[in-house]
Amino acid sequence: MEIRVKCGCGEEECSEWTIVEIQGVVETQSSFEGSIQNLEIGRLCRSDSSQETYTFTVGYHELTGSKVTLKKPLLVLKKVQKCTDDLVGKETELEAIGIIRTKILFKTRPKPLISGTYALSYVLDCFLKLWSDKSELLLLCFRNKLGCKRVKLSMAS
Amino acid sequence: MEESGRNGGAQAVINLGIGSSVPISYHPCFGPHEDLLLLEADDNLVSDIFNGRVTLRGLPDEDVVLCTKSKTYAIKFVGNSNSMFLIPPSICPGFLQDAKDDDKVSVLKTAPGSMELVEISPRLDKLKQLLSENPYGAGEVEAMMMDDDFDHQRDVALYTWSDLVNTIQASDEELRSGLQSLSAIEIDGYWRVIDDDYLDMILRILLHNCVLKDWSFDDLDEVEVVSALVADEFPSKLASHCLRVFGSKVNEDDKWKLEPRLVCLHFARQILREEKMRLESFMEEWKKKIPEGMQGRFEMLEGEVLTEKIGIETRVYTFSVRSLPSTPAERFEVLFKHRPKWEWKDLEPYLRDLHVPRLSMEGLLLKYTRRAQPRADAEPVFSAR
Repeated sequence: MEIRVKCGCGEEECSEWTIVEIQGVVETQSSFEGSIQNLEIGRLCRSDSSQETYTFTVGYHELTGSKVTLKKPLLVLKKVQKCTDDLVGKETELEAIGIIRTKILFKTRPKPLISGTYALSYVLDCFLKLWSDKSELLLLCFRNKLGCKRVKLSMAS
Repeated sequence: MEESGRNGGAQAVINLGIGSSVPISYHPCFGPHEDLLLLEADDNLVSDIFNGRVTLRGLPDEDVVLCTKSKTYAIKFVGNSNSMFLIPPSICPGFLQDAKDDDKVSVLKTAPGSMELVEISPRLDKLKQLLSENPYGAGEVEAMMMDDDFDHQRDVALYTWSDLVNTIQASDEELRSGLQSLSAIEIDGYWRVIDDDYLDMILRILLHNCVLKDWSFDDLDEVEVVSALVADEFPSKLASHCLRVFGSKVNEDDKWKLEPRLVCLHFARQILREEKMRLESFMEEWKKKIPEGMQGRFEMLEGEVLTEKIGIETRVYTFSVRSLPSTPAERFEVLFKHRPKWEWKDLEPYLRDLHVPRLSMEGLLLKYTRRAQPRADAEPVFSAR
């Protein structure tokens, strides 16, 4: 079978997406109940001093990272099921709906903010905001970076 | 909408000003979104995709490949244990949020990894197998001539171009050149290979006509050839096909030149078939079959026949590169099963057509063979690794 990869927008107009990548996972506190949709994860700040240094503050933790231009862009593809005229089968198409050229990468371990005297002034507002609404407190868990897992992709999936 | 769109979503992250900050939240539609995939693509491929020139091909039980107009790629999913927060633009069809939230930066999905492409050789072995199931031969031509209403609803499996595209994992260009190397032809919308005996019949009548009408092998007029063959009750399409199989075009006009190597090779195969013959009797019979004006040389049979020495006798038999698998690992396996040790001059014709992206012939030999050289001045011998 053949699946066409198409694009509704064209290269010039294709909307740009982005990625914020952190080494680890963000989890909600065990006491948190309810849906995580709309929940705030943290605050991304671009620092004053250097051109492309970013911090990401999540709960008590602060990450330091930088903007990375991808060597090869990533295309965001969406599987689209199209009903064909004959009732027999559905036709699948892949549509390119976005392109990612840069990401903000945080590859270091986080720094706890409590003891930090470092740059406290400008992270203070994110920090305080999180304190003011405890239900939105998120816990950042870190695990060792695993090697890349390679998985085969099959047409059936 | 447009104005506020610029203030949120991915744009807000990409264009974040020095000393500014922005909160990042989960999107109202945050979820696994397994229908969203990330594909790493170089600039050429990006432009191919935006121009609608890319397809995925494969049967449900196969690993899917991605094809551009001329190349085939395997798709590898590369997992990433980092959390990749995927952030769409603020206005993203299909993933709507409240208009008042347009200035927010929201994470739609945590991507588990992305897909990478690795250029591979097209998987054409199945093509040969499919087309060889029902070669087009004399029987079918007769049936068509006898019965004008010859029913096209045959019981046998035949394949149109679109059937092949849906079955074979190769790009359009690679599929076309695969069909060409099988000398396949499109008849009534189906791609067919021609039965060897039937092709032999057409060729012999063609050669016969050359003698009869005093045509030169190097200067055949397509129109004349076809009309002579049609007079002998061959379909005109097959008459031109015969020129394509055994000849090459001279200039741009409809003039053709028969290629001695192709013609001689054909007769060698006709003689040998499945048999092993003494070299002397083969050469004798071969020379008899070759039309006058052409010279049969043993080098013409490279990659098609092999010789073996048994005692003082040398025997020759068919061993065609065209019957071998096209993937290197399988190719070498068959070769070394057939013969454990190969000299380079024998081996090379069976490797010539192997094109592996990013791997040279040296690399192939290093990877799949062991090279032994008994003395410094001796020919190297290749065996299985």
